[in-house]
Amino acid sequence: MWIFILRRLAVLALALLVVSFLVFLIPYVGETDPVRALARARFGRLDLDAAAIEALRIELGMHRPLLVQYLDWLGNAVIGDFGNSYMSREPVIEQVWSALKVSIVLTLAALGFAFAVAVPCGSIAALRQGSAFDSIIKSLNQAFVAVPEYWLAPMSILVFALYLGWLPSAGWRGPESVILPALALSLRPMGYFTQVMRASMIDVLNSPHIVAAHSRGLSIRRTLIAHGLRNAMLPVITLFSVWMAGLLGGAVVIEVIFAVPGMGRLVYSAIVNGDLPVLQAGLVAIVTFAVLINTLTDLAYTVLNPVVRFNNAAA
Amino acid sequence: MLVNQTIMQHQARPEVCAPVLEVEHLTVGVPGVGAIINDLNLTIRRGEVVALVGESGSGKSMTARSLMRLMPSGISILNGSVRVCGDEVLSLSEEKFNEFRGARISMLFQQPHVMLDPTCTVGAQAAEALHVHRHLSAVEEHERVLQLFRDVGIPEPEERMKCYPHQMSGGMAQRVMIAAALSAEPDLLIADEPTTALDVTVQAQILQLLDRKRRESDLSILLITHDLSVVSAIADRVAVMYSGEIVEQGTTQEILRNPKHPYTQSLIHCALLEADETGQLYAIPGNPPELLSKVEGCRFRSRCQVAEKWGHPEICSRLAPPMVEHGGPGCCARCWIGAPNDMQVQAIKICQSDEEGHRDDC
Repeated sequence: MWIFILRRLAVLALALLVVSFLVFLIPYVGETDPVRALARARFGRLDLDAAAIEALRIELGMHRPLLVQYLDWLGNAVIGDFGNSYMSREPVIEQVWSALKVSIVLTLAALGFAFAVAVPCGSIAALRQGSAFDSIIKSLNQAFVAVPEYWLAPMSILVFALYLGWLPSAGWRGPESVILPALALSLRPMGYFTQVMRASMIDVLNSPHIVAAHSRGLSIRRTLIAHGLRNAMLPVITLFSVWMAGLLGGAVVIEVIFAVPGMGRLVYSAIVNGDLPVLQAGLVAIVTFAVLINTLTDLAYTVLNPVVRFNNAAA
Repeated sequence: MLVNQTIMQHQARPEVCAPVLEVEHLTVGVPGVGAIINDLNLTIRRGEVVALVGESGSGKSMTARSLMRLMPSGISILNGSVRVCGDEVLSLSEEKFNEFRGARISMLFQQPHVMLDPTCTVGAQAAEALHVHRHLSAVEEHERVLQLFRDVGIPEPEERMKCYPHQMSGGMAQRVMIAAALSAEPDLLIADEPTTALDVTVQAQILQLLDRKRRESDLSILLITHDLSVVSAIADRVAVMYSGEIVEQGTTQEILRNPKHPYTQSLIHCALLEADETGQLYAIPGNPPELLSKVEGCRFRSRCQVAEKWGHPEICSRLAPPMVEHGGPGCCARCWIGAPNDMQVQAIKICQSDEEGHRDDC
């Protein structure tokens, strides 16, 4: 077990190393000179003379070879120093950390809700294949998957915030402000989760061990709860982790529309404003969490699926 | 020879007890399409082992599933009656019948590994029937499963109870299944090819275990198999199934030594693995008719080599053969050749008048 965790941590470190190098290169692959971009952001002027730019370049240490600069940057990054934001002049790490906390809450709320709805709905749809309920769930899934967020988000603000006045329309203050963005964010994964849950439950219901459990006198409901759910949930959990990693930095539209100060909005505005340190730190944070979540999912899998547990123990 | 030697060890058991299972005219199939199992009659007495034999696709497993009312979707019981210790079970609601499953009728399956939930410990699964039917306390339940595991020959039962199915060998997994099936002390055990997926040495152990349980607790067993050596080792009576019908029934001795039905004869011939003068092993020519298909006359006719040599093969192709009793008690075969003379004469008349009718039409 510990060997398994250690191995996963080694993979995590390796992935981060590769990503950090790519992220470090971002300022250098664009058409604009990073020093010029910084100067522009810092002084708000375009007509800087070449001598001043060179002076700044030396001051920032950007005249050194790329590899030396990378190691320097990496050394600072490891202790959490990604420099200061070009825009706010505040340490980047603090901005990223607070945005990350917001994103984790938002994503967990959205996916948790999607999961909580998908597991029972998918199971019932599987049990009653071809019924009216199954058809309704199927059409809803398709609608949920297809509806674009940039339409759904303003519509939900319109209905729940402006028309009904139940919930705040935007911002991030208190638990009630989580509900609307989380709901809007949850529909698409909910559609996918339900479809996968339904398909995997059908598979499980057709598996021989369900017949065997039934032959011992367990009612269909009991068989389903004791032997169906756990087996059928495994693929949904995989999907959950994929979505979790994706939404942490990828809920850009929802975060922008609802004015949620999360990772998606942070990285988006960093790109728009050319705020390179924020962009770099944001990307590193997103990748770190994506890999961490993958590891956690593997651990959850281990708990739910003894076959994996056994193989891990053997390794 | 092997077959004959093992039969000798069997003694006829007294047949005074009430039947544990009585199946009458059981017909199973797809409604509106056709039958997979046709007019099946079978009786199993207390403590008796009845083997249901036949090649794959003959409807043996479907019979087992039907008795448990666990048919695949789309297939239902069309007609007939099934009584367990005198109680009719086909008319029971699903909920009521759940009280029979695992408690009075249990089932063993061919591949123990896929029959166990991979995410659940074997101890928990073995305790399920007890849990549902016997309502014991957790401690009593644990004790009972422990005792069952010990009884079916699982070493280190306490540790094994915490194991998951994939950590066990096929033989051990089948022992777990046996413990689970027998936990609530059923009257009847339906064993659907319980040893087919296991290697030979383990096969023998499992059969011995089943035989011992039968002796100890007067358990009745319906043993479904295609392996005649298994039949001769444990069964009291044999029912031979072909294409959804029981074509011959009788005591194990009678069936194996003196089979009446040509299909049974061929089956035994196959099992002996004797090569003919060209060095070829014997195999029954052709294939059984397709499931759900309607066949005029005897369903074995197209593969029957005896009918060819018989005087009136036209009856076999035209009229379904009757179940004819002969020899020992409960021995019968569904074949025209063994039918009483007057029946044959009558059948010949029908065939002739049919032919004349055809000629008149032309």
